[in-house]
Amino acid sequence: MYCIEARLLSKSYGNFMAVDNIDLQVPSGKIFGFLGPNGAGKTTTMKLLTTLIPPTGGQMNILGIDAIKSPLEVRKKIGVVLQQPSYEPTLSVEKALDKYGMMWNVEKNIRKDRVEELLVAFDLVDIRKKKNDDLSIGQRRRVQVAREFMHDMELLFLDEPTVGLDPSARRGLLDFIKGKVKDGLTIFFTTHILEEAEYLCDDIAIINKGKIIAVDTPGELKNKFGKEKTIKIHISEQKDISSLLAGIPECTIEHDSGVIITVRSSHSEQVLQDILKILASNDMAVEDLSVVPTSLEEIFLSVVKNSNA
Amino acid sequence: MHEIIRLVNRNLTISLNMGFVIWQIIFPLIYIFVAGFAYTALIHQVPFGNKTLDYPAFIATGMIGFNIMNSTLISGIIIWNDRRHGMFEQILVGPFTRAQYIVSNVYTIGIIGLVSAAMITAVGYPLFFKQVEFNILTVPLVIFASITGSILFGSIASIISTRLKSSEGFNVIINTVFLFFAFVSTAFYPAQGAPPILSTAFYFNPLTYLVDVVRAGIFGYFNSLVATEMIILGVGAVILFVIATKLLSKLEM
Repeated sequence: MYCIEARLLSKSYGNFMAVDNIDLQVPSGKIFGFLGPNGAGKTTTMKLLTTLIPPTGGQMNILGIDAIKSPLEVRKKIGVVLQQPSYEPTLSVEKALDKYGMMWNVEKNIRKDRVEELLVAFDLVDIRKKKNDDLSIGQRRRVQVAREFMHDMELLFLDEPTVGLDPSARRGLLDFIKGKVKDGLTIFFTTHILEEAEYLCDDIAIINKGKIIAVDTPGELKNKFGKEKTIKIHISEQKDISSLLAGIPECTIEHDSGVIITVRSSHSEQVLQDILKILASNDMAVEDLSVVPTSLEEIFLSVVKNSNA
Repeated sequence: MHEIIRLVNRNLTISLNMGFVIWQIIFPLIYIFVAGFAYTALIHQVPFGNKTLDYPAFIATGMIGFNIMNSTLISGIIIWNDRRHGMFEQILVGPFTRAQYIVSNVYTIGIIGLVSAAMITAVGYPLFFKQVEFNILTVPLVIFASITGSILFGSIASIISTRLKSSEGFNVIINTVFLFFAFVSTAFYPAQGAPPILSTAFYFNPLTYLVDVVRAGIFGYFNSLVATEMIILGVGAVILFVIATKLLSKLEM
């Protein structure tokens, strides 16, 4: 069952294609990460899917509803945290949460409980009486994200929700989101902080220049695009190690300082064994050794680079 | 609760602060009780239809119209603030349509306009009670003036708020426009006796029609001129509301 199904979705501004015939399928009850460099089309896609702007072409089905024909029906069932800050400057934190719940027609007694719950969950208790206008950017962002949990929803769109948050607040928010997903919520999450996507997302799509260039689980993306691992060896004395390792098949020497050498290989286990044999046969002592898998960030950069090429 | 009622509730909550309430009460009170009596030495009697009003009664009723207009500033401020603070987009990704957002603003200014009118009527009543002539048209005329005036001036404030991005620009333009409306009208002084250019300009100003209709209701004087003014006010309100709605609907996200 898919929460979001988009087919050949596009949005153009004059000759510029902000979103270029993308296909998307987001399964229910999962966290779907939507990654891309600045200006890639993430926010425009988000605005299309949340029915804030109409598409130029294509079809969208959100929660089983034709989002082009019945946008209001879709919006009644989703939550959206936009990238740009949004707040009522004259309201206090707790009043802002309560009024937002009222706008979503949440009953007064339920609102009261939720306000208390969210003030604690988002560490807002100490600033509950402060007006939004007097908050720091990070505090305001926390209120903005917390506010969205005042109402019930089946699908939540989060457009870079952790921007402006300190590391502790960021981790707190990600864990809170994970908890909500366990309760059945589906999340569409855009970010360019790749550690977040790796920590949080079940599936990831990468968009560049308005086109989706990769979609898969973080693990599969690594399998597909990141089979290579980086082997870093620190030897005790300066030697011409590059010439010794040159004969190892499937091994690319990236860096050689004489005592530290970095190689990349998609057959890292075999290559590591060969390197250790060569070092032992040349009486070269190893001071330190590490094998690092390719990070999502490297995959992202590589996929985007290939797409640009 | 209906979506529009929820939005009106929200609009009233964010708009009604102590500063606004004081502005809405103190400012007209100064005009009614200070200017009203101070200018009596200069303006003794003001002809209105088949009646002659004393100046405090004239300005007190003018202040009802003035306060209705002033209260509609809130409409522009709500829209402008919503755009500036991201709430415009946030509301429109929620369970609301643009039409509901617009209508909720109209209701908000309508409520504030009516309450303002009632407030100033109550405050000014001791000044004009001797000349009041309640009849079957009094309440409908005052309500008509309050509602059409709110929509008309609220639409003007909304149009300005959709066109301007900087807070300085918004404040300067809206204050200049509303200052023009306030003082180039018959709210404060009668058209009779003013230089011809000025008295003509008075009748290019919707506030003149608004206060004329209010006075017609309160002083029980209704003729074809008042009926014409009501039509102009109504048509003006509809046209400006349509323009404001179109501009709001076209606002880029």
